[in-house]
Amino acid sequence: MIDWLIRLFFDNYPYSLKKLFKLRSWLPLLLLPLSTAGPVQSEQLPIENLLQRSYLDDYYSNVVYGYRIVTETEKYGARYTGNSLRCSNCHLNAGRKEYGLPLNVAGMYPKWRSKNGRRNGIGLRIRECFVYSMNGIMPPEDAPEVMAVAAYISYLSHGETIGEAPAGRGVPTLPDTGYDPNPASGKAIYDQKCAACHGPNGQGIAHMPPLWGMNAYNEGAGMAGVHRAAGFIWANMPLGQERTLSHQQALDVAAYINMQIRPGDPREYKLLKLFETISWFFDR
Amino acid sequence: MALNLLADISPWRPSHSPGLNIRSELFAALIGAILVIPQGITFAYLAGLPPEYGIYTAIFVTLFASLFGTSSMLGGPNTAVAILIGIAVAPFAGRGSPLYIEYVLLLSFMVGLIQLTIWLLRGGRFFMYLSPAAITGITTGVGFILILSSLDGIFGLSSSDTHFFYHKLYFLFDDAENLVNPFSFTVGAITVVAGMIARHYITRYAILIAITVGYLCGLILMSFHSQVEMELELLGHLPINPLPVSHPPMGTDYLITGLAMLPDALIIALIGLAQSMVIVKQLRNDTDQPIQPDKEVFAQGIANLMAPFFSSFAGSGSFNRTQVNQSMHAETPLTGIVSAGIVLVLILLLGPVLTYLPMPAISGTLMLVGIGMIKTDEIKRLFNWRGELAVFTTTLFCIVFLGLQTGLVVALILSVLLFVISASSLELIVEREAVSVKIRVEGHLFYASIDQLSQILKKHRRENVILDLSVVTYLDLSATEAIAKELAKRNNESTFFAVKLSSERLQNQFEARMAGQPVQFIQYNHTY
Repeated sequence: MIDWLIRLFFDNYPYSLKKLFKLRSWLPLLLLPLSTAGPVQSEQLPIENLLQRSYLDDYYSNVVYGYRIVTETEKYGARYTGNSLRCSNCHLNAGRKEYGLPLNVAGMYPKWRSKNGRRNGIGLRIRECFVYSMNGIMPPEDAPEVMAVAAYISYLSHGETIGEAPAGRGVPTLPDTGYDPNPASGKAIYDQKCAACHGPNGQGIAHMPPLWGMNAYNEGAGMAGVHRAAGFIWANMPLGQERTLSHQQALDVAAYINMQIRPGDPREYKLLKLFETISWFFDR
Repeated sequence: MALNLLADISPWRPSHSPGLNIRSELFAALIGAILVIPQGITFAYLAGLPPEYGIYTAIFVTLFASLFGTSSMLGGPNTAVAILIGIAVAPFAGRGSPLYIEYVLLLSFMVGLIQLTIWLLRGGRFFMYLSPAAITGITTGVGFILILSSLDGIFGLSSSDTHFFYHKLYFLFDDAENLVNPFSFTVGAITVVAGMIARHYITRYAILIAITVGYLCGLILMSFHSQVEMELELLGHLPINPLPVSHPPMGTDYLITGLAMLPDALIIALIGLAQSMVIVKQLRNDTDQPIQPDKEVFAQGIANLMAPFFSSFAGSGSFNRTQVNQSMHAETPLTGIVSAGIVLVLILLLGPVLTYLPMPAISGTLMLVGIGMIKTDEIKRLFNWRGELAVFTTTLFCIVFLGLQTGLVVALILSVLLFVISASSLELIVEREAVSVKIRVEGHLFYASIDQLSQILKKHRRENVILDLSVVTYLDLSATEAIAKELAKRNNESTFFAVKLSSERLQNQFEARMAGQPVQFIQYNHTY
């Protein structure tokens, strides 16, 4: 009896009372005539439709937030980023392009990665992007930014098979050309084909990302690996004329880009990040 | 009336405070600005918003509250209000998401509207009913909540949502080696210890010293281990925009949520005003500032109403910053106005350094604020009176076990109850004299208290009675009627009944009621 009373007052009472006031219990009923999209719908709305809505529920507002972080990182993800790149600079078309590092990979996580020698959830994967590719600081597990990007990734993964790599995942692995990457010939190709958008010193121009310098990805990023970068360049660059470079040309350009100066790997240069940030601030 | 309202909404000008000492005002403003930055960041964290919103609140809510206020009270982000915002909005959207931010802006706008309504109804004076015991209970409860929520950051837990605080403590001890992040704990513990030591020597700057020590400790750790391997949470970049224009969301969808948040908005508005009014009351007692409480209510209301237009959340007067302000001899609202500007300049300068501020250091200061809110000497004083002690313990119990909102409502009801009970209890002194019984009444005679007197009168029905009401200042209709009824039942031949009243007005009122009854009056100026 006493046990029952305690449970009534301390477990159920605050809940049942709260439920009366909380919107969750009756919001779906009220929203039925107002919105046509509920979470029960099997067809997924394209993100462009979601963007035009004046009101979104918790899930879709988070998806849209994730989309905005991916496409306007400098505005929506600024808290944890340290350079002027956007997620969508590498995850092309906001993570929806095959072989352009697409983001429809939610079904593949958790998985073991050699990078940190741990089994990674999608959350840790996203957080590491902030540290290396965005040259920022590691957000906490429950940071709103991480949850939003995770929601966007699951949204994009709609329809993919869980546990299998989606078609066009990552970047293509280039076959062995038999020659070492040659940065000198890479520079010639860079000046001819890349410099128009990325600048002669790799500093980028408006809406085009920098490739090196203190505003680019750091040495711990996936792109800092020559073979990964070469696959990306071959499959996606120059923008609009993809797959026009030969495999060897892509390797050369990747080697040239990745031998330039860029922020250090935060795992190796510890306090350096602070000085980088401060000097970057005063140089601005 | 209209002229009164107009006088209320006119902003402060230096001519309103003749004894303006610019130098002490500016120095107080600087100190206030330095103190509010860590508080703004922590309170934004409590409210579930990105840290820059706390900074905006520290700038704009402080600015508007001081611009329209009359006192040196510093407004801005407030602990209880921030916690309540977090609790109110959390069910509707994920913390920190754009939808969440929109709801917070909507809630702040509603809070401002409610406070302006209270101002229009001249409701400021009703906050004087909140008993000091209830306020001590609320601050102690909030301090307790702060300490518990700071544990998340200090131990590096991801924000855990447990029903009761002891669940969290149990998890913490049960699974310490998996849950506790040793690096977070080092930074957090050093911050708290540094703050506790600093409090003994320089109380005023204890928080500032604590957060600096925590920051340096974080830097030392970061020079040995990378942030990635420590998983030490850092503050991150603050994308500060000097003019962060925004607006509260409007539309039918938001209206529904707005209606659902209305009880919370009401509680936040009341709690914000209650705290501000308590501060105003203190300032009015302690200083010679030309304070108008109604104008302060307006200032709070307009500050919260304007908050959502500048990416800020609702705030209220701040106890700790006003105290520091007072100790620096700041006497006018100029301090708050200047302090808002200094916060903006400081944050633009400090931005890149603050990026690497460890969150456990911020949680540590949160714990220090919480510890500071539990004032043991005030609680000890409450033990002298049972009624106040009961209000205090009930409030504290409700806040800790049933949640802050429930606790606040209970505190409000209990304060009023305590007031009613103390007002309705009569002090009856019965003295037997040579030929009569003298009944001396102390207290208010009204419908709730008359029963006590009737019982005594009934007991002495067969005796001569002198009813001494000379210290009774309030006598209502039902009380006089009850006495008249009692008179009618008396044995009028053998006994007499005399009444002594305190003023002519009461006597006239009494005589009119007692027409035809055998009652004699002892003159009110007659010395007995």
